[in-house]
Amino acid sequence: MKYNPSRLLTRVCAGIAALLTALAAPVPAAADEPYDVYNYNYLGEAVPSQAGYVAERAVSGLDLGTTAFSAPSDLCRDRDDNFYVVDSGNNRIVKIDSELQKVLKIYDRFTMPDGSETSLSNPKGIYVSPDTGLIYIADNENARALVSDAEGKVQTVIEKPESTVYDQALTFLPQKILCDNAGNVYIVLNNTTKGAAMFDSSGSFIGYYGANAVPRTAAVIANHFWNMIASEEERQFRRRNAPTAFDNFDIDTAKGFIFTSTSSGASDTDIVKKVNPEGHNLFDYMSGYRWGDLFSTWYSGTTYKTRIVDIDIGDDGSINCLDATTGRVFQYDKEASLLFIMGTTGDQVGSFMAGSVTAVETKGENCESVYVLDGGKGTVTEFRQTVFGRIVHRATALYNSGCYEEALGPWLEVLKRDGNYRSAYLGISSAYYNMGRYKESMDYAKKADASARYNRAFERYRSEWLRAHLTGIAALAAVLAAALLVRKYLKKRRKQKQSAPDAGETAA
Amino acid sequence: MMDLTQPQWVRHTVLHPFEGFEDLRWKKAGSLKYAAVIVAALFVALIAYDRWCGFQFRPLPDQLFSILPYLTRSVVYFAAWVLGNWAVCTLLDGEGTMKNICIYSAYALIPYIVSVFVNVLLSHILVRAEMVFFTTVSYVGLIWTGLLLFNAVKAVHQYSIAKTAAAIALTVFAMLVILFLGVLVLSLFQKVYVFFYSLYTEILYRVRV
Repeated sequence: MKYNPSRLLTRVCAGIAALLTALAAPVPAAADEPYDVYNYNYLGEAVPSQAGYVAERAVSGLDLGTTAFSAPSDLCRDRDDNFYVVDSGNNRIVKIDSELQKVLKIYDRFTMPDGSETSLSNPKGIYVSPDTGLIYIADNENARALVSDAEGKVQTVIEKPESTVYDQALTFLPQKILCDNAGNVYIVLNNTTKGAAMFDSSGSFIGYYGANAVPRTAAVIANHFWNMIASEEERQFRRRNAPTAFDNFDIDTAKGFIFTSTSSGASDTDIVKKVNPEGHNLFDYMSGYRWGDLFSTWYSGTTYKTRIVDIDIGDDGSINCLDATTGRVFQYDKEASLLFIMGTTGDQVGSFMAGSVTAVETKGENCESVYVLDGGKGTVTEFRQTVFGRIVHRATALYNSGCYEEALGPWLEVLKRDGNYRSAYLGISSAYYNMGRYKESMDYAKKADASARYNRAFERYRSEWLRAHLTGIAALAAVLAAALLVRKYLKKRRKQKQSAPDAGETAA
Repeated sequence: MMDLTQPQWVRHTVLHPFEGFEDLRWKKAGSLKYAAVIVAALFVALIAYDRWCGFQFRPLPDQLFSILPYLTRSVVYFAAWVLGNWAVCTLLDGEGTMKNICIYSAYALIPYIVSVFVNVLLSHILVRAEMVFFTTVSYVGLIWTGLLLFNAVKAVHQYSIAKTAAAIALTVFAMLVILFLGVLVLSLFQKVYVFFYSLYTEILYRVRV
């Protein structure tokens, strides 16, 4: 073989270049995700974060051995962890097993109490009671809601109420449906801002439940004032103050609270509410809280802001909000502090058609899985909790139940994996405070930029320090006092000495 | 009588709010160098308050720190005060020169600067519940500085009390006008810069094409 120096040089150079590119290639934080995982810090800036969930797979109707879903609009899980997909375009409910492997049953025909058969027409919502196993269906275009057992035998039919409280000029087109532990049925309608229509277990109308509040803005107050002084005729032409209507909800079956979500971007008030059985919003104190993304973006004449179309309360109390604009799920703990953000818009697994996601559902004691229903693609996507997500959930659960010291281990583990996770610093600070290790508590409070917590730990640290050094401080004070006394005495003597000769002279 | 060195003069004026500046004027003492050092100390004090306080009192997150606001609050405000006071009092038969206004006003700032530094020290041993000590110190500093500043203006221009008060009110107004014009000029220069820069890029494109 002939020796060719220039060729050898080229080869070596190519080799080095290849090596360099391999080394310089950026290592993504989460290699599997079709999006950059982020979280918000306490200043409201988006910062890179570790993924708490990764998209595992997307399942379509064809994957399950049935026809493709057509515009599916709701997803629900029963007490045996089976899933129900409301396949609106095909007028059916599809029951799927807990692993999303096969279809268990397809509900397209129901037997009415009088024995006749009936079918659905564009159903929109479903709820399966964890107590009774009854299936509640919002049968939208039939203008009714059905309560059926697992075999498809309808127990109760809820139709347009004849009560005078219900404005008879309005239609009755159920969108979403829910039942509480007492068997009361709540139905979201799309034509009222008074709240969800509430029925008792026999199907008779009780009233409205949990309306949103009118935002407390200056414009609204001014409008109210002018309406007050306007005459009857004028008032007919004036704008009335009406709240936005919530359009989805979920119930925390363990505690009985109903969480509502509002997708209308018309106001930022009451986007997510936690409503008690009396109808009061327990999240009222944070009515201006920004759920979802903190910033809206403006592009070519359109403002894109978070539009929460569905909400799900996990078995651990976590609040999962689905944003249709960005296809993201925002997961909060039960105290409404942000845990994780997952999902995006696009074509890969873990991304969705813009504006077409319709439902979110969770599974597992610690929210091990999050499911998102994409109405455009007709798929159910499963997000599986990562190790990081599991540790955060465990730490948060312990922390929120007041077991600060038990949460210390998990929080330290969280910090090893994501140094940006602020709740970990707060949790560790609280744990050390409870354990009496005030200096460390101060250090972690400082890292979390939580000066109130620092203040609390510092107060205890200072009193401990004072107690420990009391003898030293007392000794120092005594020495100082003695020194001052001596100095004063010396000054006085010097003065006396200076004036003494004069006194002698005058006397002489 | 009253043959003091420059540091002694600083001490004398600060500790004698009513007579100090008259003495300073009578002996034609006071140094511009010391005034500059005091204004620099004000700048340091403002930063120290936000950066070196005990963490339980620190209001500002580290990420939001910027040097410009501190420069504005010390040097720029002081310059505007001196300029505004000189402009107003020249018209109101004041006897002070720009140099003297600068020196006297700077000396008057010392109690405030000291109070800020005392607070920075205190903040490391106090907790939030004991904030009252903190506020007391800063009120004492502010009132003392206010008193000194009033007497500084009174002495440097040889005014009566009423005329001094009027002059100070007018000076504050003049400061606002100066700062407003300053912002206006700055934005104008920015516009001019952007204009010439876009002209430059435009020419560059033409030359290339």
